[in-house]
Parts: sequence; structure tokens; C-alpha cells
Amino acid sequence: MSDAAKAVALGVDAGSTTWKAVAIDATGAIVASLVEPAEPRIGAQTERAVAVLRTQAGADAAVPLGATGYGRKRVAAARSLTEITCHARGAFARMRRPGVLIDVGGQDTKVIRIGAAGDVADFSMNDKCAAGTGRFLEVILGRLHVPLGEVAAFAARAERSVLVSSTCTVFAESEVVSLVAEGQPVEGIVKGLHAALASRVAALAGTMPQDGGVFMSGGVALNPAMVEALAGALGRRVEIVPDPQLVGALGAALAVRP
Amino acid sequence: MRRAIIREQQARGRKAVAVLPVHYPKPLLTAMDILAVELWGPPGPPRGPDAGRLQAYVCAVARNALAFLAAGHADVVDGVLFPHTCDSIQGLATLAPDFGGWGKPCFRYIQPKGEERPSSRAFVRAELESLAAELAVLTGKSLETAALRRALELHTEIDRLRAALLDGRARLAMTDRELYGLLRRGEFLWPEDHLQELKAATGRLAAEGSAPVQTDLPIMITGYVPEPMTLFDHLRAAGAYVAADDYAGIGRRVLRVPVGEDDVVSERSERSARPEAPPRPRPVSDPFVALVRQSFEAPPCSTRSANQDRRLEYLVGLYRRSRCAGLVVHVPKFCEPELFDVPAIRARFAAEGVPLLYLEGELEADLSAQAQTRIDAFCEMVAAQRRRGGRAAGGTRGGATGGTRSGATGGEA
Amino acid sequence: MITRRVQYELIARAAGPLLMTINRWQGDLKRAVRRVTGRGPARKAAPFGPPLESTRKLKDLMTMHYLTGRYADGAVPVAWVTSGFPVEILRPSGFFTVYPENHGAVCAVRRMVPELSEAVEKQGYSRDLCAYARCDLGSVVTGKTPAGRLPRPDLLACCTNICQTVLYWYRALAEHFKVPLVLVDTPFVYGEAKPHHLQYVRDQLHELRTVAERVSGNHVAPEELEEILKVSLAGTRLWDACLKTGRTKPSPWTGFDSFIHLAPIVSMRGTEECNAYYRILLDELQDRARRGVPGIANERVRLLWDNLPIWFNLRELATLLAEHGFNFVCTTYTNAWAEAGGLIDPADPEGSATRAYIHVILNRDLPNKLRTMKRMCTEYDVQGAILHSDRSCKPYSIGQIDLKDRLAQELGIKALILEACHADQRAYASEQGEMRIRAFMESFDQATPS
Repeated sequence: MSDAAKAVALGVDAGSTTWKAVAIDATGAIVASLVEPAEPRIGAQTERAVAVLRTQAGADAAVPLGATGYGRKRVAAARSLTEITCHARGAFARMRRPGVLIDVGGQDTKVIRIGAAGDVADFSMNDKCAAGTGRFLEVILGRLHVPLGEVAAFAARAERSVLVSSTCTVFAESEVVSLVAEGQPVEGIVKGLHAALASRVAALAGTMPQDGGVFMSGGVALNPAMVEALAGALGRRVEIVPDPQLVGALGAALAVRP
Repeated sequence: MRRAIIREQQARGRKAVAVLPVHYPKPLLTAMDILAVELWGPPGPPRGPDAGRLQAYVCAVARNALAFLAAGHADVVDGVLFPHTCDSIQGLATLAPDFGGWGKPCFRYIQPKGEERPSSRAFVRAELESLAAELAVLTGKSLETAALRRALELHTEIDRLRAALLDGRARLAMTDRELYGLLRRGEFLWPEDHLQELKAATGRLAAEGSAPVQTDLPIMITGYVPEPMTLFDHLRAAGAYVAADDYAGIGRRVLRVPVGEDDVVSERSERSARPEAPPRPRPVSDPFVALVRQSFEAPPCSTRSANQDRRLEYLVGLYRRSRCAGLVVHVPKFCEPELFDVPAIRARFAAEGVPLLYLEGELEADLSAQAQTRIDAFCEMVAAQRRRGGRAAGGTRGGATGGTRSGATGGEA
Repeated sequence: MITRRVQYELIARAAGPLLMTINRWQGDLKRAVRRVTGRGPARKAAPFGPPLESTRKLKDLMTMHYLTGRYADGAVPVAWVTSGFPVEILRPSGFFTVYPENHGAVCAVRRMVPELSEAVEKQGYSRDLCAYARCDLGSVVTGKTPAGRLPRPDLLACCTNICQTVLYWYRALAEHFKVPLVLVDTPFVYGEAKPHHLQYVRDQLHELRTVAERVSGNHVAPEELEEILKVSLAGTRLWDACLKTGRTKPSPWTGFDSFIHLAPIVSMRGTEECNAYYRILLDELQDRARRGVPGIANERVRLLWDNLPIWFNLRELATLLAEHGFNFVCTTYTNAWAEAGGLIDPADPEGSATRAYIHVILNRDLPNKLRTMKRMCTEYDVQGAILHSDRSCKPYSIGQIDLKDRLAQELGIKALILEACHADQRAYASEQGEMRIRAFMESFDQATPS
């Protein structure tokens, strides 16, 4: 292992659906990472998985650990920071300029304005309901029997988007059922669902500043149909932060980097 | 605990009346030997099946109150007073007594809406007299002027001490939880007993001009009622404390402008200027006049729906005076009076470069994990902005439904 | 100012009516083509009865109203007014009146509310607030309106007898337009109105007259107000008579028709045009009643509707019900404009206006609402009721769960609570709603097998 790749800090993002961790070197580059489904016992999962990561990255117990995500406070021997701060740091490290970061997660959607120094200038989050989150898509695509892996292909095949007016997960579910019953093509409905979700996220983002980039992170960023829908709703080019799922963990590691 | 206090006061020959939020002429009740026991919900899930008699889109304050009353949890009091606060409490004030849920005496106190006008001044006076007459039926004795005067003095002293504690917050050696616990005991204690507790607490105030004892991040809060109280524990864990309060139930009820009975002169001249309402002859010194003035001189409150500019000026003044580093807007879901003021508050504080956190609640027993994350993230952001020295632009919002954004980038590196 | 006035008068008296006529020719032409070619949407047949002829005149009247409005500001004083406002006090000063609630209903029918609302949701207006308020403020901010253009107000006139919401809403309008806001604050009536409550409203009406004269620059003689009140009272009585034709079996129209035909009494109350229209409508309804021409083809079950309509779903709902022989023959909402206005007495302008405007159904307690509903159930001989639980209108919706139970217990009325919103389709699950209504209708057939 070269000197540059020597791990100097670890970061854990204990989210509600997935558990993510990275090890970074002195330049901030990721030298090792782990992604697992979240287990109910976050403390135990972290203890086990962090040990694996330390071995992989060759990081002994002296290498500091930063934690974020809902489970952050249950990660032992770590400095904890919220996902907001960590996502901003992680995204800024990768994109190297200020902008607006949109993180569509399983349970939460966050819109974070990253300042010139990589700081959080402003943020907003969805309210309690799942209307603007990845969960919205997941529930309804399940209803339509569209596998998550094929979502983008489905949407791409659509000749036109079918208007889905409800953004409430429960309402949209029944609306979609009736659209199918009316004989609307599933492809068009899938595209319409993305547009509905994108409009909800755009509302959360408010008026966008014209300067700076628009970045996207979180698992949903891996879905090209969503990226396209979001770009349409915002009227801006949307750039995906590399390794979008690891942005929070990266930020947590950067926060404790010596 | 409340039940025991109520019983004790009743044993002394006093009556007890449950009072719904927000504003009511408390000195009048005190003067008539009536213990006011306020009913802010209560928090937690609604108790009993009657909560279902109000739709889920009605605020938790009204829904919980109906369930609480209908389940007989308030049977120890002698009556209920419904101030005319909003459409929901207005509806509750007919639903509970007329369709089941409350069988004992029921009083309503209508506060005029909008800005102060000659008509609304005359109305407040008449409404106060009407309420006093109705309460006299409950107590069996009519209101005495001397008693009202004593009660006004007592409540002026209470307000003075509450103001001293709130305005001197940075020098007060108490946690938020302790301070709010103390102030909220005023919701059910006999006022003289509350006064004693307040006096004791002022002993924990460091002298004016001395170094602040609170060193955490100073935050201002505006909202309806401080529930759940664990909010303060989370703020503390995130390194912040409430340096300025604008809860409808707390700071907005602390009268900071002294009102005397002298105002009677100006009121009389106003009345005599209107030929259709000739001045009734009154003694020059009239404690009712002070009560009328109080309802117009209290800090601006959304539920009075008066002048919004005045409210914004008041909030900005309070914020600056208290040297706060951020603003938390904490409102109950579905609360129209509070929600309608939010856009203007956002816009005004964004223009001031103040970071803002929006929190919506439903009188739940504790904050959701998501709300806790928002508080933590907000405190992290405010602390970082402070560290970088001075005013960083950027208002923060945590709600799903839009808000005014300030400058694009926050940090001045 | 003078050119503006000339333009306004020209539109109101000549160009407007001409445009209307052309518009109608075009409509007739289209219909004729459709008849000949058999293409285009089928003419409304079953499940409804023959359409009301007056509807066309209503469209003309309202289109003219909005068209004239486009040229009103700068020509005549303009007031934006709440539906329950004592507008008669403003009329003699020559105000052109705009009713944002009526405008909201038009936006809702056109399904424009989400788009308009989003504009102000971005400013921090919560979706839990009244959809009328959100869409009206959104329309003001974006300038988008199905009316083409709304005239800028010189005065905002707000009365809290329908809700407190209007005050918050109008305060935001006052802030936007920087114009005076007059408030008539009406204490809620628990049991009987107290004398000092009436005095308070009366004092405010007096204050209002002063402001109206100052803003308009027109001094009003007492007999002018009396005259307007006479016209207003006549209009209220005409509207009341129209509604009462629904007592006939079968009813000559539907409750949904009455929602549409409500517009003039709400937004043109106190004008001759309003009354002229209702004379035409009443003639037609009475004629239909005499000849047994029904509102729906096969009226089997008569219903009462409570609360505002679901504007964006009006047609669908009406059709669903009519297909199964269910007809709304009365609604508490349309009745509100027939009821309290009857208390107007031209001989006692301020006193009677005070009584009339404090005693509207939304400003009175639940026992009064129950009495009103029971009376309507009996007089219109209905078997069922749909209570629209309106997320956007708390004062109208609070108490409905008890009202439903009481109607069932005391009159044997089957009632359904239908949760929706009067203007924002995002808050209505149409699938669930339709299923509930179907189940509700089925329950009648189970009870009385035919």
C-alpha cells in the first residue's frame, strides 16, 4: 500500500435503509468502502463492519472515526455530525465548488446550499410524509411490478408522460392503479411518477440561485430517469456526485481527518 | 398535581376554571377568586375516543382538548373559558358544550381581531364587563373594583418578574427546561404562589452588566406552545439555548408596557369625539381601562391578526436585543394564525441574514428523529457560521413547503 | 383617468356585449357542426335532464363581469371583497367589486390551484392553509388568472363572519397592494347575539362607510344606501325562490347546478343585473317544475349537501350520482345566501345589515347548524346527506361528525362524510372518494329493495 493511500480517517453513515462507510487517505480520496443494508442493531453492525473496514484499509484503532446518519449517536468512539453537514463536506470535496446539493434518500430528501468554503449556508428537508422521498417511487413501482433496476429503461421507453397529480404516496398509489385500469401505458406512468416526485423536490428547493452547480447524491441519484426529471423540473443541469451513496460517509471521514 | 392544586384552592372557597389558549383577562379571574387552569392540548396522543369527533386536519390543541374534556379529565374544575383564538377553538366552544363533552358552565371571551379601532376598544370594555357578569353567576359574588385593582397590581408584578427572567436570560443560571418549567407553572398556580416562585428564581440572575452565565449558542424561538418540552433538552445537547422567547403561551403574554388607569382620559376624549356613543360617566380612576389597554399593548400575537409590520419589528427588535445567532420557528401543524405569519417572518429574517429553522409539531410526546436531526444540523450550521466570524448569509428551512431563500452562498471565507 | 373611464364604459356597454354575442354565435356554430357531423363530445344526455337554458345567460353575465373588471381599475374605485361582506355599504360609492373566493372557485374548476399555490408555497405558505387563500395569493404573485386580468384593488374589504382565515389572507393582499384594508369583525354567535356584539358590528359598519367614502371620493346619501339594500333584499329573495323550486319532485335542477348559479348572488349582490338574471332563472325553474322537467333523468334518492363543493371534481361527482338516480336537491352552502340576507330592512340600513351579517350560518353555533340542516332535510324531503369534510375550511367542517350522527338519530337520514378539499385536487383521493360514494349509494338499495 502506497503512502498516499494510507487511511487517515474513517467515516460511517448509519442511514435508515443502508449502512455506508469509507476510509480516506490524507488527500481525501476514498481508499476503501462498504455498503450494507441497515440492521436494526446499529451499534453491533457498526462494530463488526468498522472492524472489517479497518482491516481492508489497514487502519488501526488510532485512525479516527466520524459518524453521521440516523444512527450516528449509537456509533461508539466516534465524533457525530448530522447528514446535512457531512453531505455538504463530502459533496464539496468531490465537486470542488459551491452549489446546491439535492440528496434524495429513502426516508428523507434534503436540499443543502453549499457555501464557498464548503459550509452549509442553508438547508431544507421534507416533512414527515414520504411524498418527496425515494420511498414514494419504491412503493408505487412495487405496485406496478417494475423492478427498480429497470426503472430508467421503462421511463426512457415512454412516448409521453402520463400526468400523476398526487404527490402523496397513499393517494398516488390509488391514482396509479386507476390509470392502469384506464389502460394508460406503464412506461408513461413511470415517467409521470418521476415528474411528480421531481416537482415535489423542486418545491423543496425553492428558488434556485443561478450561480454554482446543482449536484445530486443519495441512492436515487443512480436512477438516470430521476436525474433527468429533476433537471427538467429545475430547468438546470444536474451533476451526480461521484459515488453518490458514499457522500455522507465521506463527509463524516473528512470531518475527523487529522 | 394540578388536581391537588385545584382542590386546595377550592377548599379555600375559590372557583377553578379551565381556560383554553391563548389570551384572556387573567386579572379579572384573579379578582373574582377564580383559579385559571390552562388547557394547552394537553400534549401526547389524544386521550379517549372523543378525539375522533374532530377531523385529523384540525390542530392537536383543539382535538386533544375535546378528548380531554369529554373523557372527564377536567371534571374537577367548575367551568371552562374559551377565548376566541381561532376558528378551531371557536368551533370547539360550541362542539363540546352543545354536542357533548362538557356539561358544566361554559364561558367565551371574544377578542376583537385586527388593528385597534374605536369600535374594538369599546367592544373589549363591553366584553370584559359581560364576562365579569357571567363569572359572577358562577362565584355568587360580583366583581369588586378594589379587588380588580389589587389583581392588576399582582399581575403587573408577575409580568415584571417574568420579563426580568426572559430578558435577562443570558445572566440567568437555569437551563431552558428549568426556566420553561417555572414559567409554565403560571398556567395553573394561584398567581400569588406563582409570584413567590418567580421571586425565588430572580435570585439566580447575575447582576446586570456581569458576564453572561449562558455560553451556548443563543437562539430565538417563536411559536405557539413549548411542547414537547424535550425540545429544550435536544437544543441543549446540540449546544444551544433559548435566549429570546416569542411563544404565544410565554413571551407574547408578558406585558412589557406599563398600563395605568390614567389612560381613561384619552379614552374618554375619544368617546366624546363620537357623538353616537356618548361617554358614560365613570370614575376617573377605572381599573377596567387598564384591562382594556392590556389587550392592545401586549406583544403582537398572530392570533390577534393585527398589524404584521408591528409584529415583525417586535421580533427583529427582540432578536437583536438578545444577540441571538439563529431563529427557530416552531408551530403546530394546521395552526392557521401561526402558519399565515410564517412567510413574512421568513422573508424578514432572511433579509437580516438570520439562519432560520422551521419545525412543525403536533403536540407529540417527543420530537421525531428527523426533527432532532434538523435541530442538530441547524446548530452545527449556526456554530460554523459563528466560528467563521460574523454574519454569514443564509436562512435555513426545514419544511417541505417552500420558504424564502436568502443569498446563494453562505460563507464569507 | 378619463380615458380609462371611457374605455371601461365602452366595454361595459358596447364592446363587451358584442363580444359575447360573437362568442355565442361561435358556440352555436360549433354545436351545429357537431350535430351535423356527429363528431366531438356527445351532448349532455342521460343521466341528466335537459340542460338549463339560463346557464348560457349566466356565462354571459359572469364573462361580462370579469371582462368589465379588466378595465375597471383607474376608471372606477375597485374593492376586493369577501363573500360574506356587507357589500351593500360599498355599492353606493360606486365600487367595482371583485370576489377572490369566486375567482378561487373558477381557478379550482379549471384545476389551476396546484400551479398557483406552488408559487406561494415557495414563500413559505403551508399546504395546510386554505386553498382559496393560497391560489388567490399565487394568482396575485404570478399574474396568472383564468379571468385574463383582475383589476387592482383600491380597497380590501373583509368580514370574519365566514372565517378568520379571510383576515389573514386579506392582510397579505393589503401588504402586497399597499392599499387600505377594512375589517368587519363579527363576534361568533353562541345562542343569541349579545347586544354589545351587535353594537360592535354596527360601529364597524359606521367606520366602514367613512373609509369607503374616503377611498372612492364619493359621498353617499342615505337614500342611495336604502335603494341598494332594496335591490339586495330582492336578489336574496329571488335566489331563495330559485332554491326552493328544489322542493318539487322531481327537482327541476341539481344542487350542482345551484353551485354554478350561485356566482351572481355572491359577487354581484345588490345590483340590478344580478336580480335580472335570477328572474330569468326563476322563471325557467318554475316552468320546469310545473312541467315536471327534472334536473336528473331518474330521480330516485334526494340528498342534502353540506359545505363548499369540490369545485375541481364537480362534474364527475354530479355524473356519478345522477347515473344512480341520486340528486342533491339542497345544499347548506347555497342556502347561506338565501337565509341571513332576508333580515335586511331598507328602513334600518345599519341595524338590519348588522343582524343579517352576524347571523350567517358559519358565524353561528352548531345547534343552529343542526336546526338548519334538519329543516332543510324535512322541507326538501331528503333521504340522505353528504357532508363534505373540507380540509381547506375548518370552520365549516368542525362538528360534522356529530352532525352526521344526529341527522341519523333524529331524522333517520343516512349520511356520508367525504374528505376532500374545495379547491386543491392534490388533497383529494378521487379513487377512494368515488368508492365511498358508491358504497353509500349501495346502502340505500340494501335498505329499500326496489
